[in-house]
Amino acid sequence: MPLVILSPMTYAAGSLDDLDLESLMAMDIQVTSAMKRSQSAFDTATSIYVLSKERITHSGATSIPEALKMVPGLVVRQLDNNQWAISARGVASRFSSKMLVMIDGQSLYTPQFSAVYWETLNVPLYDIERIEVIRGQGGQLWSSNANNGVINIITKNSLDTRGLYADAASGSQVNIDANIRYGNDISDIGSYRVYGHVKDGDASEKGLVLEPNDVTQQYSFGGRMDFSTSDHWSGFVQGDITESKLGQNYRGVIDDTNRNITFTDKLERTDSRVMARLENRMSDSANQMLQVSWLNQSGSQTYLQEEFESFDVDYQMNFIYQALQLDWGLNYRYSTISFEDSLFLHSDKEFDNLQQYGGFIQAQFALIPEELDLVLGTRAEHNDLTDWEYQPLARLLWKPQDNQVLWSAVSQSVRIPSLIEFNDNYAINGQKVSEVLPFSTGIEAIDEYHIKTYLNGNDDVEAETSLSYELGYRLSQQSWNLDVSLYHTETEDVAVIDINPNVEQFYPALALFQSGQLQQALQALTQTTIQFDIVSTADLTTQGGDIVLSWVPADMFNAELGYSYNTFEYDLPENTFPAIGRDSTTRQIFAKADVHLFDSHNIFATVRVENSDAYLTENYTLLDLTWNWAVSQHWGVSVTGKNLFAGSHLEYANRQETYTIPNYIDESVLFKVTANF
Amino acid sequence: MHKITQLLHVLLFSFLLFTSQSAAAAEQEYALKAGFLYNFARYGEWHDSALSPDKFVICSPDASFTETAKSVLNQRSVDKRPITIRHIQFELEQVNQCQLLFISSASLSDWLSWQKQQDYIAENTMVVGESKGLIEAGGHIRFFIASGKVRFEVSPQQLQQSGITMSSKVLRLGRVLER
Repeated sequence: MPLVILSPMTYAAGSLDDLDLESLMAMDIQVTSAMKRSQSAFDTATSIYVLSKERITHSGATSIPEALKMVPGLVVRQLDNNQWAISARGVASRFSSKMLVMIDGQSLYTPQFSAVYWETLNVPLYDIERIEVIRGQGGQLWSSNANNGVINIITKNSLDTRGLYADAASGSQVNIDANIRYGNDISDIGSYRVYGHVKDGDASEKGLVLEPNDVTQQYSFGGRMDFSTSDHWSGFVQGDITESKLGQNYRGVIDDTNRNITFTDKLERTDSRVMARLENRMSDSANQMLQVSWLNQSGSQTYLQEEFESFDVDYQMNFIYQALQLDWGLNYRYSTISFEDSLFLHSDKEFDNLQQYGGFIQAQFALIPEELDLVLGTRAEHNDLTDWEYQPLARLLWKPQDNQVLWSAVSQSVRIPSLIEFNDNYAINGQKVSEVLPFSTGIEAIDEYHIKTYLNGNDDVEAETSLSYELGYRLSQQSWNLDVSLYHTETEDVAVIDINPNVEQFYPALALFQSGQLQQALQALTQTTIQFDIVSTADLTTQGGDIVLSWVPADMFNAELGYSYNTFEYDLPENTFPAIGRDSTTRQIFAKADVHLFDSHNIFATVRVENSDAYLTENYTLLDLTWNWAVSQHWGVSVTGKNLFAGSHLEYANRQETYTIPNYIDESVLFKVTANF
Repeated sequence: MHKITQLLHVLLFSFLLFTSQSAAAAEQEYALKAGFLYNFARYGEWHDSALSPDKFVICSPDASFTETAKSVLNQRSVDKRPITIRHIQFELEQVNQCQLLFISSASLSDWLSWQKQQDYIAENTMVVGESKGLIEAGGHIRFFIASGKVRFEVSPQQLQQSGITMSSKVLRLGRVLER
């Protein structure tokens, strides 16, 4: 039982402690499996946390970001009722996270922002098998831009979702959140499921600057078909489409004042994806996989129209030969990006498509069988912006006893610049003349005048390279487990903003001012601009660690305590300031309890203490509490209280972000009815 | 490009030569299947329980399976009856001693010809296998592999005819066949 909590991924041969039918069904027959190698989380030389489907259902979460709030070491900050900033081992931002997010291995990474639109990422939670979160470098195995971590959402085989499922929830901030799914066999070769989802959410109660407008209207439809023609060939095809209408408050420079103006708008988005995977078990110790996927995201709001499309092909093979396990793969990605120029944004390099291709190889040798393993690997990937990039790693895993693991890793990861950094120019909040010039003119019209200011992407920006050192320890005892990981990461070529007011350009205006021609001086000022350039000249040090203690004294009770500590420190050249995040320290405490009472009742509680100076907010402590009651074999009800004891609180107040205006997050209650036939 | 293709072929070819040598992976599959058999035993109901009242007997003519099952099911019991794993030959007397019989793909053809010769119809023995055609040949449950995981199909009707009922807890996880 304790192993299930720590390693619900898959068990290596010989660690079949629990013969529960459902856990047997979750295990892979091979020590190698399709998407990369699957192995026991306990034996993984990386800082990994697995969110099981039981936890997700018990928690009462209604979206992926809400479920991710349970992961120790992950920063999940809610900007308002539909926007999120999520990251690990760094400062989370809405538009940049250096974190790779995937659904069944399909990347959702948007090259425009290097982030993910969490608000429109819609995977039905009841169809999730598990969510694997890797804290720290994941680039060697998964892809570039995984410096801070990888989130891999793995959905269930449709063979395991046959029958009818429906739920409907309503509460203090949600008018309706309803789901329906139906699945069945396709003769004796496969199975399918189709689902639909509708959500209508209210706005928050209190805004920071404007009246909240963060309403949500969302419709999704999707399905999956799995087949296995023989024990050697299987595969699946899945697709879905989500239509979202999201109320948002934001700001932008849209007129001659050259100043940020706040406004209220509705963002309309359509997100669709399709993927197909073919898996071939070539022998007892080898398999291969081919995956093809397509993604389209289009967003439309008053001042911004964008469309992003990507086509991905991945091939991969894993095999074992005596003491050697080898994984290798090839990948190709073609993306098209259309970002219409708007009042405050234009692109100068006109990138409308990007290609990325490369491969990885990873070898694991048993230096001492069952005791000491060495993993060596690298990824070489070409991209259109910075050419070839390499991400090597070495890991060492020492298992002095069956229930103890000590691991360490040295790795290099790469983040390719996003198009904002490389290609785009933004009009940002104008600079006051009095802040630019070393003296004041004493004339308000001039001193207070805001000079047009641009933030410019720069095609000299290089890829950010991080060198990480990691150390971890795991211990599994009869009724409790310990998982500790520490890291130190040095990053070079970090993108920062270079300020050069170019004072000479003000001389004509000053000359006019001195000769008393005030009108002409003002007129001359409208011709001046200040250019902020993105340059990759800074260094960054991040370090910290996570500790998770899980306790399972009985079948009906399990609990978890986690502590996470991260510091973020820039080394900035003169005249530059940080583009993403600021020097800061983040501490988190997590406590979770999952209690089964009288067979049909379950109580799940999560307490989080967030203490950080990275988001310009007060520290906060909140409790999410869910009571699930299985009324009968087919019917269930639940009540969830979210953000309890935190009152109305701000989770994100970084005003330096050009766009974002957050709201206060409220306490809320949600009632839910579930039917399962 | 030609060099890369060449390299790929060398890689592919070299591993095809040595894939048969890894026993660990096959063991994992049989370990999982043994775990499933344990659950079929726990959630099945044998109408005539007169057979071996003091132990629960799981048999297979495949030694590689029985070896793995012994280590996985060591110390386990079904309704307080300890599980015994037996490596058997296809002989009526031996087969009749088994509450659960596992026919591996390696032993399928032997099983089919023996069954024909004997005109054997399973009674009080749950017949589980892993090859296509097993259910058609009178077996009850067949394992298959889907996306690297063990799944099973089951014929409740044929189980019933052999005097065994399977709990809905198991049936809802498998693919239920109409025959």
